[in-house]
Amino acid sequence: MNSVSNPFITRRKFLLAAASIAAAVPIRPALAMATGEYRIRVAPSQARFAGPDGPRTPVWAYDGTVPGPTLRLRQGQPARIIVENGLDEDTTVHWHGIRLPNAMDGVPGLTQKPIRPGENFIYEFTPPDAGTFWYHPHANSLVQLGRGLAGALVVEEVEPVAVDRDILWLLQDWRLAADGQIAGGFGSAMDASMSGRVGNVVTVNGTGPGDRSVKAGERVRLRLANASLARMMALRFEGHRPVVVAIDGQPCDPHEPEGGRLVLAPAMRIDIVLDMQGHPGSRHAVIDDFYDGLAYTLTTLAYDAAPPLRTHPLDTPVGLPRNPLPQPDLAGAERQEIVLQGGMMGGGKLKGVGGMMGMGMMGMNGGAAWAINGMSMTGDGHAGMAPQFTLKRGVTCHLTMRNETAWWHPMHVHGFSLSVISRNGSPVPHRQWQDTVLLAPKDTIECAFVADNPGDWMLHCHVADHQMAGLMTAFRVT
Amino acid sequence: MKLTHRLAALSLLIATPLPAFAATINAVMYKNPQCSCCESYANYLEHNGFKVDIKPVNNLSQISSDAGVPADLEGCHTLMVDGYIVDGLVPVEIVKKLLTERPAITGITLAGMPAGAPGMGGEKQGPFVVYAFTKDGKAPTVYATE
Repeated sequence: MNSVSNPFITRRKFLLAAASIAAAVPIRPALAMATGEYRIRVAPSQARFAGPDGPRTPVWAYDGTVPGPTLRLRQGQPARIIVENGLDEDTTVHWHGIRLPNAMDGVPGLTQKPIRPGENFIYEFTPPDAGTFWYHPHANSLVQLGRGLAGALVVEEVEPVAVDRDILWLLQDWRLAADGQIAGGFGSAMDASMSGRVGNVVTVNGTGPGDRSVKAGERVRLRLANASLARMMALRFEGHRPVVVAIDGQPCDPHEPEGGRLVLAPAMRIDIVLDMQGHPGSRHAVIDDFYDGLAYTLTTLAYDAAPPLRTHPLDTPVGLPRNPLPQPDLAGAERQEIVLQGGMMGGGKLKGVGGMMGMGMMGMNGGAAWAINGMSMTGDGHAGMAPQFTLKRGVTCHLTMRNETAWWHPMHVHGFSLSVISRNGSPVPHRQWQDTVLLAPKDTIECAFVADNPGDWMLHCHVADHQMAGLMTAFRVT
Repeated sequence: MKLTHRLAALSLLIATPLPAFAATINAVMYKNPQCSCCESYANYLEHNGFKVDIKPVNNLSQISSDAGVPADLEGCHTLMVDGYIVDGLVPVEIVKKLLTERPAITGITLAGMPAGAPGMGGEKQGPFVVYAFTKDGKAPTVYATE
């Protein structure tokens, strides 16, 4: 199809075009043809993490920009997204967190043929849930995501939510060498069997730690999405009290996070409402202190000098309308268990599986460093992956995930959102649903979902090195 | 350190009596912030005359690679001591041997996290093979076994 000849040039297309001109990227923008229609090209490009005057870093990008263009869809309205592969290798796009038909899920071999260089694939689905989602490749994931392929996908509520501004921070973590280029060494055995390829430069919407301009008195819906390969984040907003209103796109009971700290693992999203109650002209750091001894300032909220928009915060409720998720029937549920094994300091759990403690490094040469229930599925997904378990369509699955390893794992389930029931025996409050559930070392999580969507679905750790090195499985819904 | 300097240092060592390790040896350890074995290893070194400055880093494999450690022989942390790289859980006698002999190499490494090595629990499963490596592209050689 020829997108350029489409007569319905929307305001969105104009805005995207304007944005891309502002970013001085000489590549055409994602073309929004009609509502929910996009065309995206995947190809090498260049980024300037330090701003428009900074050095150029070669990246791989959706439509020439990192992150890729923010796609805006409407809840319950069909979407059609044409993806052109301009890379020299296969790719796919996974619409992370969207409940969609299996054939649109973007897993090479398992749900579709990979998109070959020079070829297109048309993704068509109707998002049932409003919220903050994202998209990324599921082919050669470690390298493709690590070189920049990620973008936000916002599904707008049918009725707009009352806030002064709706903004999004797509967070990416880059491992750059001294010359400012993306460092090689993807898939090193050490990264694979420890915490993954955590980088040394974090960007917010593609640029480094500059200021974010805010206005006194305004209410902001801030959508946070962690598109890092491996970096966990724990964000504190100095002088502010963020209220969590959605996790992984799914509205929850509004609440302040424990200790004011928002823990955001790779692939997770958290929507917060921030009432900007600082003084005009004041500055407040946003600090990520997840790793002991390695805290840094992600960005700074810089209030402009204007008088407050209003004297008191809005008293309208901050809760979001719930999405139409099927309610699990725990009494009649089928129980399944996933046990995460392996990694450094893993106590030899992988003997005979592909890696071995006490005999050099696991995860060497693309080998396994991890396993789920004793089985290491490595790579990105492929044809003939035997499902770990099979669920009859319509049944509730009560899933236990047990982390026997010494490392953190954000476990992502494709095609479903999980109602999170308990963590280490304690009930999880706030009626949370997640597609990416973070397990701390030795954690046990209980969750549940209704198997209402047929197909073979992936369940894997979203630390890309861990997935590639065996922390992946699949299950079938008939 | 340049090779000539090393050779000079080496010949100086040969010409003078070996120093006893009475003075504290300063070392800097780069480690993954979430790995605990390295801290046990640092503790072990401190009991053996070293002062270890621990620096947690998220890009350890990059530091290790930049330090010249061969990718297939990486240990679980990288120690910089007296001009040498000591990668992984190398027994202290071998570290001291290195600092005394001062060979013309970049460093030594004990790959992986072998059971029974200092800082690790468990039973030793076989000899520890510590490799010497250089940055000149030559293949690593066995420096010591224990």
